[in-house]
Amino acid sequence: MFELESQVRKWRGHLRSSGSLGEDELEELESHLRDSIDDLTTRGVTTEEAFLVSIRRLGDTEALSNEFAKVTTESVWRQLLVPAPDESSRRRQRTEVMLVIGLALLAGLLGKIPALLGWGLDTDEPLVYVKNASLFALPSVAVYLIWKRSLPLRFIFLAAAVFIGAAVLINLYPSRSPYDTVLLTALHLFIALLLPLAILYGGPGWRKTGTRLDFVRFAGEVFIYSVLIGLGGAVLVAVSIQVFQFVDVDIENFVVNWAVIFGGFGLLVVAAYLVEWKKGRIETIAPVLARIFTPLLLVVLVSLLLAILITGQAPAEDRELLIWFDLLLALVLGMTLYTMSARDAEDPTGFWDAVVFALVVVALVVDAVALAGIASRVAEYGATPNRLAALGANVLLLVNLVFLGLGYGRFLLRRVRYQVIVDLQMRYLPVYAVWAALVVIVFPPLFGFR
Amino acid sequence: MTGMNISKDLVAASATPIVLAILRRADSYGYAIIQKVREVSDDRLSWTDGMLYPVLHRLEDAGFVVSHWQVAESGRRRKYYRLTEAGRVELERLTEQWLVVHTALERLTDTAARSDRDV
Repeated sequence: MFELESQVRKWRGHLRSSGSLGEDELEELESHLRDSIDDLTTRGVTTEEAFLVSIRRLGDTEALSNEFAKVTTESVWRQLLVPAPDESSRRRQRTEVMLVIGLALLAGLLGKIPALLGWGLDTDEPLVYVKNASLFALPSVAVYLIWKRSLPLRFIFLAAAVFIGAAVLINLYPSRSPYDTVLLTALHLFIALLLPLAILYGGPGWRKTGTRLDFVRFAGEVFIYSVLIGLGGAVLVAVSIQVFQFVDVDIENFVVNWAVIFGGFGLLVVAAYLVEWKKGRIETIAPVLARIFTPLLLVVLVSLLLAILITGQAPAEDRELLIWFDLLLALVLGMTLYTMSARDAEDPTGFWDAVVFALVVVALVVDAVALAGIASRVAEYGATPNRLAALGANVLLLVNLVFLGLGYGRFLLRRVRYQVIVDLQMRYLPVYAVWAALVVIVFPPLFGFR
Repeated sequence: MTGMNISKDLVAASATPIVLAILRRADSYGYAIIQKVREVSDDRLSWTDGMLYPVLHRLEDAGFVVSHWQVAESGRRRKYYRLTEAGRVELERLTEQWLVVHTALERLTDTAARSDRDV
């Protein structure tokens, strides 16, 4: 059965991936393609033949994109750097850049609050920074999304309530040695705050699967951008500290107290802006990374299983290992999400679905082993915050991987459509945020703030 | 449809004046322009459809045409191109150049024909 729509989408995706065509050009070419197909089918040609002939007439995609590249490479960058021709959108773009710069500074200023209160980075209270890191970086992103989406008042109230509530709560909680709950708070607060951000990202339609998937894509890209910018920043900081030493100026203090704080906390909003801004203009990198790392991750997991089987060394023997297992599984979930966000739900089953299925199944086996390990530790030595948090995360991941595995299995057998898996996965995501919020709110008092 | 293949260079060089000339008659969009070229050249000027668009965009960059999106009655969005005043001037300039070439060729082949007869 020939599926015109999915073929056209594929063709368009193929052209887009060449990178030299903008959305406008793609739209124009698609309109041409459809005109041509209509013309041919009215002359009695089947849709499939009409599609093939029309594609052929449009020309080899590579030659086409090269030809476009000559005209548009320059203009793609021009579009990126210089405002669009329309006056009102030009003004909005200028405002946007100013806003993002302002918000990045705001994040930095928030990051300076502890220093104002007498807790510098070099004092004995670095945990204040760790604990509050999400609250320095994320409000700017929230404000940016509110502005970008022109969200109604109730979203602004929601955002304000969440951030102020979180800030008050975690700073009222005391923290005592060995600071386990503080570190858990730092990590889980970030995950919990992704839910309000997802709501702001989606606006009134945030419940829709498609919107949630868009947010997943957005978050993934922001992550990649942040890492890239962060690496660049780190290199710059290291080089400048060294270079200034040669002229006997010690800038380390200044750099650590100002550049690192402003750069570090302002990073996310800048990355968010970049992702929003270049949306659709240049091929997204997440799917490429997913294709590279999904098979590699599969190899790692299979080797790990083999190692456990051969050596007979159960992972519970080592305390640190359990946390690393959780991270590994989170990575599997992340890869699956990346793959999901890059995949056209209408595409038939293919090689990559089988790879993801294998990945999920192996991850499940690994998770079962890890879970047994954690459970036995909790039973033996009683619950510590770290063990309980690792256990909770593991149960959530296990449930997730089970239905992903079942979903992919049934999809490969052509029992269900791919969309069913996506729907299920997107509905499950808030569970992680809710659990993370629980860890932030309930764990510290439960364990005496230790 | 006959075996007459017009060289690539010639097709490329003639594309600009032909597109401009078509747009002088009426605003049009890519697919219709291609159809028109086929029609007026009796199918002998064959372009790869896709190659028209870089040409159109170059003309737009140069200010010879302007474009706007319009929704056809079928609901399909099409990008229409309109000739600008600068485009009109450019078309005249190009047509003149082609006429010079055309006349020169004609004279030469005429002389050739005459000298053939003379022999």
